[in-house]
Amino acid sequence: MTIICKEEELILNKERSIYWAAQKMLIISDLHIGKSAHFRKHGIQVPSGVGEGDLQRLARLIDLYDPQTLLITGDMFHHKSNSEVAVFSEWRKEFSQLRFQLIKGNHDQLRPVEYASLNIELIQKELICAPFRFIHEKPESTDTTYTISGHIHPGVTLYGKARQRLNFPCFYFGENNAILPAFSAFTGLSRIQPQKNDRFYAITPSGVVAV
Amino acid sequence: MGIETSKGYKQVTKWLKLSRKKPFRFQTDAWQYYAEGYCGLVNAPTGFGKTFSLFLAVVIEELNRTAEQTKTASKKKKKDTGLKLIWITPLRALAKDLARAMREVCMELELDWQVSVRNGDTTAAEKLKQKKQMPEVLIITPESMHLLLAQKDTAAHFHQLQCIVADEWHELMGSKRGVMAELAISRIRGIVQEKHPERLLRIWGISATIGNMEQALEVLVPYQEVLKVIIKADIEKKITIKSILPDHIDMLPWAGHLGHKLAHKLLPIIHKSKTTLIFTNTRGQAELWYQNLLVLDENLAGQIAIHHGSIDYELRNWIEDALHSGILKAVISTSSLDLGVDFKPVDTVVQIGSPKGVARFLQRAGRSGHSPHETSVIYFLPTHALELVEAAAIKEAAKTQQIESRDPIVMAFDTLIQYLVTLAVGDGFDDHKIYLEVKETHAFSELLPSEWGWIMQFISTGGDSLSAYTEFSKVLKKDGLWKVESRQIAMRHRLHIGTIVSDPMLKVKYLGGGYIGMVEESFISKMKPGNSFTLAGRVLEFIMVKEMTALVRRSKLKRAITPSWMGGRISLSANLGSILRKKYNETLDKNHEDEELDIILPLFERQAKVSHVPKSDEFLIELIHTKDGYHFFAYPFEGRQVHEVMAALIAYRLSRKTPISFSIAMNDYGFELLSEYPIPLDEENIKALFSPENLGEDIVGSINSTEMAKRKFRDIACISGLVFQGFPGKYTANKHLQSSAALFFNVFTDYDKHNLLLRQAYEEAFYQQIEEPRLLAALQRIQLSKIILIKAESYTPLCFPIKVDSLRENMSTEELGQRIERMTAEANQKMRPVHMKSRKKNDHHL
Repeated sequence: MTIICKEEELILNKERSIYWAAQKMLIISDLHIGKSAHFRKHGIQVPSGVGEGDLQRLARLIDLYDPQTLLITGDMFHHKSNSEVAVFSEWRKEFSQLRFQLIKGNHDQLRPVEYASLNIELIQKELICAPFRFIHEKPESTDTTYTISGHIHPGVTLYGKARQRLNFPCFYFGENNAILPAFSAFTGLSRIQPQKNDRFYAITPSGVVAV
Repeated sequence: MGIETSKGYKQVTKWLKLSRKKPFRFQTDAWQYYAEGYCGLVNAPTGFGKTFSLFLAVVIEELNRTAEQTKTASKKKKKDTGLKLIWITPLRALAKDLARAMREVCMELELDWQVSVRNGDTTAAEKLKQKKQMPEVLIITPESMHLLLAQKDTAAHFHQLQCIVADEWHELMGSKRGVMAELAISRIRGIVQEKHPERLLRIWGISATIGNMEQALEVLVPYQEVLKVIIKADIEKKITIKSILPDHIDMLPWAGHLGHKLAHKLLPIIHKSKTTLIFTNTRGQAELWYQNLLVLDENLAGQIAIHHGSIDYELRNWIEDALHSGILKAVISTSSLDLGVDFKPVDTVVQIGSPKGVARFLQRAGRSGHSPHETSVIYFLPTHALELVEAAAIKEAAKTQQIESRDPIVMAFDTLIQYLVTLAVGDGFDDHKIYLEVKETHAFSELLPSEWGWIMQFISTGGDSLSAYTEFSKVLKKDGLWKVESRQIAMRHRLHIGTIVSDPMLKVKYLGGGYIGMVEESFISKMKPGNSFTLAGRVLEFIMVKEMTALVRRSKLKRAITPSWMGGRISLSANLGSILRKKYNETLDKNHEDEELDIILPLFERQAKVSHVPKSDEFLIELIHTKDGYHFFAYPFEGRQVHEVMAALIAYRLSRKTPISFSIAMNDYGFELLSEYPIPLDEENIKALFSPENLGEDIVGSINSTEMAKRKFRDIACISGLVFQGFPGKYTANKHLQSSAALFFNVFTDYDKHNLLLRQAYEEAFYQQIEEPRLLAALQRIQLSKIILIKAESYTPLCFPIKVDSLRENMSTEELGQRIERMTAEANQKMRPVHMKSRKKNDHHL
């Protein structure tokens, strides 16, 4: 689905990404690499397929759009380095030409050398790329620059007949900020209170739906 | 040889004589069988000393043993203090009382025994004391028993253990807590057998009357080689059941669940009784009744209290003490006071609304007139008109002792996984030995070696190698034993032992300090600062949430909204349903002696006029066309849960012929399908529609079994340690390990299809939620019934409660009350125009 935001064309993909064609930029958030391995290390049974699945989806998106830059608005790595980070390191080599930019999120706690060795540019606070500001957590007060953030894993609830209720991850586009869904399949959702003029794009198994 | 001649027996009977008591036959029987080494189950009415039947059995043996010792006069008295009796109780409220009674006995018999309580409320200091020196008697919950097994060097506790008693076994048996008890007993028995092969560890249960007593014993004591006996007291407890009747049927609404209309009739009952226990079905209802009674009679302020599971421990403690000393005139409670607590001053019990089952009702009745030969008095306060029939049905069931069975839980893999990790956190376990022990329990007697293998893999490598669980660590083999090495994992596991999964709760605390109780997070999240709500009978103003605690101050308001706690709505039992159908017969025939049925007669006459009153061999279907659409009402009287599935099934079968969509509503009596279009129905196809053929297939087609299994998986994920519950008042330290059950359900479905926990979720959905066997029986009964198809002009007295229930989901109580009033008025009005029309017609004729 293609939408217009601040006169820029953005393509929302049901694999939880935004492609900004004008900048040849693929934007995702909250990848949480290493989360399932982190859980396993602590004695909670999460199959490895989850993390591998995330990377396969990302590879398909890269093949589809052929971007110059992959921008991750925070929480690329869930915790410290573990086996899944090692898997990612191998995976990264397949896309050595692609520029990886990471805006540091609250979870990202690898050492600077580790980011360097993974060929990832680390941005400490925010990236201004007019007309947008990319940042991990939406700041309390915003200026005129339209902010695009991640962090909260937004979700939306659809209500149907006979008390049916379904939760989906979603893209949120408000008056002066937008929030990306979490890319990783192994993430929960937090529902956001809709304000006036807000737009929600639910990610359903069949595609992105405006709600 | 009898034990009557033994020294201990004489000592006990002499002591009983001093307080002018004589043991009942079932008690002396229990003492005898215990002395002979039997295991068993004691069944006696409440108030006749079930506790003493077993506690004194153990005491007598001890007295005999010490007598033996003094005879041989060995000066070097071997130290033989330590745990002798483990007494399992399901409720914490019970423990304190039991301990008090037991300590009294020990003191008067000059027996130097320690009696201690151990449960979630036990302080750390007390636990430490117990670790150093175990008391002789330990009163414990199933959860705390597992916590005991999660300690290091547990085996040392059981050197002197003679007996394990499971109190209120009927209550435990039907839940996963029962499975916990089964597993803990199997381990303790294993330890005792290993260290003291000569000892005969006796396992006894105490149970109220249930339909499947023999099975209850088999579940508790599944061992083939031991002697087993059921001791049933031949005493009958006198119970008087009275309904609080309206002066006229119009005083009662057609639907509703509060029953405030009859509240004024409750006041004289409270006044003339010493202490009254008032039982409601939900916590929200209890709060509302507390407020309402105070409004009706201000003099009751300070004399009544409210008791339910969400009220702070200290406060509950105070209420229980006040009940003992008789300070309180009345206590409004939910099931939190259901079980055998013996409050002597209580002489009257009131049940508000349908108790849904015979066993529960009788249990509650037994809370009054607790001493032998006293009569238990229980009043039934109907909340809507049709509940009067339920009152009559309950009375009959009580008279004829038609009491429900409790189905024991089997193959609860989640509970087994938790148990194995518990052992690994403790001293570690030998998988061959534990497999044999587990396999011997009733719950896991059907466990296959392949399933055991999967579970061992799940806790040691994460799962089968096909779905790759790299870097997984939890339970490791060390020196031949499976152990948890990580202190962090061990600590987290100990915090989460148990099978009761509740919604996230927040503690409620005054700004100036002092806890009041707990409310659901979802309720508080909808509150804005300055809003008021009621808890523990107090009106509170919400200020803010801070670290999992809701801070409040006293509100000046008199009334406020009441939180609705998400408790499972209990469904009508099959047993009560069938007696209910019989009572419908009798009402119009007038061949009964029930005053309730006399009162409701006008309503039934009205039902007969606008539709039909179904007899027990008839199956009534009403078709009504209103501006909302086309309604289809059916009345199987099988309880809400069965109706939910049956409604979905019928909707599915109808829509298969012609595409049509429905909205569904149900209550304990029947269900409704509502459609925008006429429903293709006639006498001919109804039987085919309700046919038991292809049932399994059609259920799968009609019900979103994935959604249902997902709901069941919520508990399973918590119990098996995949997801952690937040604790009220405790900040979750493991934020980076937080996830949700739904997420795990999806992840396993996508990446580990053969996960046994997934299978368990589907099986629980099928047997507990869908209740396929009961549904099948209901459909077979309908096949044999005469179908009565009525096209009614407006809502009938029977369908009205269903109609109202379907509105209940998204409306608050107060608005609902108004809505009901309006709809009742509408229904009445609708009747009137019909008359008017006919009169007009007559006018024309004139």
